[in-house]
Amino acid sequence: MKLKVAEQLHDVSPHITMNRSTKEIMQDVVLAMLPALLGGIYFFGINSLILTLASVTTCLLSEYIWQKIRREQLTVSDWSAVVTGMLIAFNVPSTTPIWAVMVASVFAIVVVKQFFGGIGSNFANPALMGRALLMFLWPASISNYVTTYHNGADAISSATVLGLYKAGSDTAQFTKWDMFIGNIPGCIGETSVLLLLIGFAYLCYRRVVNLAAAGTYVLTVLLITFVFAKDGMFKGDILTNLMSGGLILGACFMMTDYASVAPRVKVVLSIIAGVVTAGIRIWGRLPEGVSYGILVANCLSGLIDTIIRPHIYGVGLKNNKR
Amino acid sequence: MRHYFHGGIHPADGTDKLLSNQVPIRMYTPKSVEISMKQSPNSVCEAIVKVKDKVSRGDLIGKSVSFGSANIHASISGTVNDIKTIRDDWGRDIEIIVIEADDKEADTKRASNDYEQGLVDISSYTVETIISKMVEGGIIGMGGAGFPTHVKYETEEDIQYVLINAAECEPYLTCDHVLMKEYGYSIINGILLFIKAASAKKAILCFEDNKQDVAKDFEYIILKNDLPIEIRVLPTRYPQGGERQLVEAVMGMEVPAGKLPASIGVIINNVATAKALSDIVLGNEPLITRVVTVTGKVKEPCNYLVPIGTRFSELIDLSGDFKAKTSRVIDGGPMTGHCIQIGGTKEDLMLSVTKTTSGLLVLEDFTKVESPCIRCGECERVCPAGLAPFKIDYAAIENDIVLCEKLYATECISCGCCSYVCPAKRELAYRITEAKTEVFRQRQERSSKS
Repeated sequence: MKLKVAEQLHDVSPHITMNRSTKEIMQDVVLAMLPALLGGIYFFGINSLILTLASVTTCLLSEYIWQKIRREQLTVSDWSAVVTGMLIAFNVPSTTPIWAVMVASVFAIVVVKQFFGGIGSNFANPALMGRALLMFLWPASISNYVTTYHNGADAISSATVLGLYKAGSDTAQFTKWDMFIGNIPGCIGETSVLLLLIGFAYLCYRRVVNLAAAGTYVLTVLLITFVFAKDGMFKGDILTNLMSGGLILGACFMMTDYASVAPRVKVVLSIIAGVVTAGIRIWGRLPEGVSYGILVANCLSGLIDTIIRPHIYGVGLKNNKR
Repeated sequence: MRHYFHGGIHPADGTDKLLSNQVPIRMYTPKSVEISMKQSPNSVCEAIVKVKDKVSRGDLIGKSVSFGSANIHASISGTVNDIKTIRDDWGRDIEIIVIEADDKEADTKRASNDYEQGLVDISSYTVETIISKMVEGGIIGMGGAGFPTHVKYETEEDIQYVLINAAECEPYLTCDHVLMKEYGYSIINGILLFIKAASAKKAILCFEDNKQDVAKDFEYIILKNDLPIEIRVLPTRYPQGGERQLVEAVMGMEVPAGKLPASIGVIINNVATAKALSDIVLGNEPLITRVVTVTGKVKEPCNYLVPIGTRFSELIDLSGDFKAKTSRVIDGGPMTGHCIQIGGTKEDLMLSVTKTTSGLLVLEDFTKVESPCIRCGECERVCPAGLAPFKIDYAAIENDIVLCEKLYATECISCGCCSYVCPAKRELAYRITEAKTEVFRQRQERSSKS
């Protein structure tokens, strides 16, 4: 079979195309993350912006340099590296050293994304893999959570709400309203449920994300953490589990990420991610399990895609006679 | 019970069709025509006239020699001036008969027939006469595929319903819409003949809801005369008019892979084919004219009723030349049509109208650059066949035909939805269609060896 290549494809049908490109999708995602970034700067100070700029720049540069060295088609202008960079910064606390986010960025782009074939071919979410690398090699670098500036005093070290909840400590100092607007210790981009949902609503409006995938993930986590609570069955704190960790960030911006989740089986993968996340939160050593939950789902996407067969028109029909 | 077909897209907002669906059909008879002996992709005929022969309108000039082809007739009276031979994309030699009109008077508008003005009695026609008339008149599906109509009716299956396809889901095209506005009775008489030929219970006339106006007119005639025709208005969505998609949308069942709709008791015909049938059976005129939409970036978009063989350059001339800076000229609609020229002037257009030419569309030329697939899954969501276009695309690029077959590339209907929605602008439909052809070719090779 001889296929036309590049410029020979100029005249093939269809002759109209939808007014949306990869770049526009990525720009939409960046736009949707801006409210949460502004929130991060407001709650945790200018360091949030510096870390974000550092990771975005590192991601762009490492993608550019790698593709130049390999003489590949340059894809830096598609904005996907910006999304990865922002997500890396969103997933670390504001006290993280700059070198740590830069290492995570290089690893995410070069190893996780480009080693496996670049945009669309990576097996897992690069930003989450970057975070996982830091968790594995330098856990201390990303575990110094601080209170927000706006909690009455200067920022001081503090456990996250989920951490306190897991340890059985009192979480009463953080109101549900604080959790909703983001006035609690946590990673730069994860604390404000309100601002994340504004961005997510925009993505839904632009039809960039799959609402079902995000919804299923959240519901699965809430259901399991509610049922198997440490105080006994059906005694979990739904609102704390929903609003105090990375659940909303994960559901809105990472569970819905294209490259790592096979489209047709998104909902099934969301359930898997939800089970793993909830399992870590309840029985694991760590208070939080969003990133590992999503990474496990990413790795299983190929398998699930093979198990659940799509229905092909006219194939395998039963009782089709009138 | 409402059914929908799987997948699909909304490629246009309706303004595309407004360009040409409010203008009455214009008649036009050129002074000379070029009739190709290839009227649809799979039908090649043999010319049975020689240069200098005199022919009159309706005379047989091309004889069907293969299974997929149908007779071809002279569309104007005159003299055969030349028989050219060109080579097509598949490397076949195609004869083109050039007829020069001698007497313009002879081709003026015929007197209007009674079957065009009202219902006529068709009880004297038997199944056999109708089918033999289909063969004689060279009737083929005028929706695009150009499958000879008589083959559909020579089935052994028990046919329950005849679906009449008036969906016209391709953006820009309005030829069926205006045909229904102006030739309603021809079409209804044709539908009744189809029901008779198939010995079916009834016909279902399927519209999209952007053609409510004609649906109402038809409903009025059908109710008044108590005809065995049911009207179905479907929500506008592309590719509703695909044969298999229409069956799914109307009947809620699927046509088994590799089989014809007749296997589940359904035959599907286009409205234009219904008109062509009443023309040959009731008016004794073979398929020598058709309505062609000339639209897009031309000065006066319009529908023309023209003889088969009318040159494209003349059609563009009638519509007042191109309006685009660099025009991309498409034979057919924007989704499945074949690009025949990019740039150039109207005089450069070489081809002419065939029985399957539904439109001549002019668009501003544009360039797409393919980028890597981001696995967003849109192509899979919109594929009416339920395929995973991005996977078949990978397999086709790797030339892995076995994998293409496993991924059911053979079930692709080449509607183009996947390429339309792809944010990476990949030409999925093109490569999957090529893969499909290759799978069929290799299957044929295997079966001829064993």
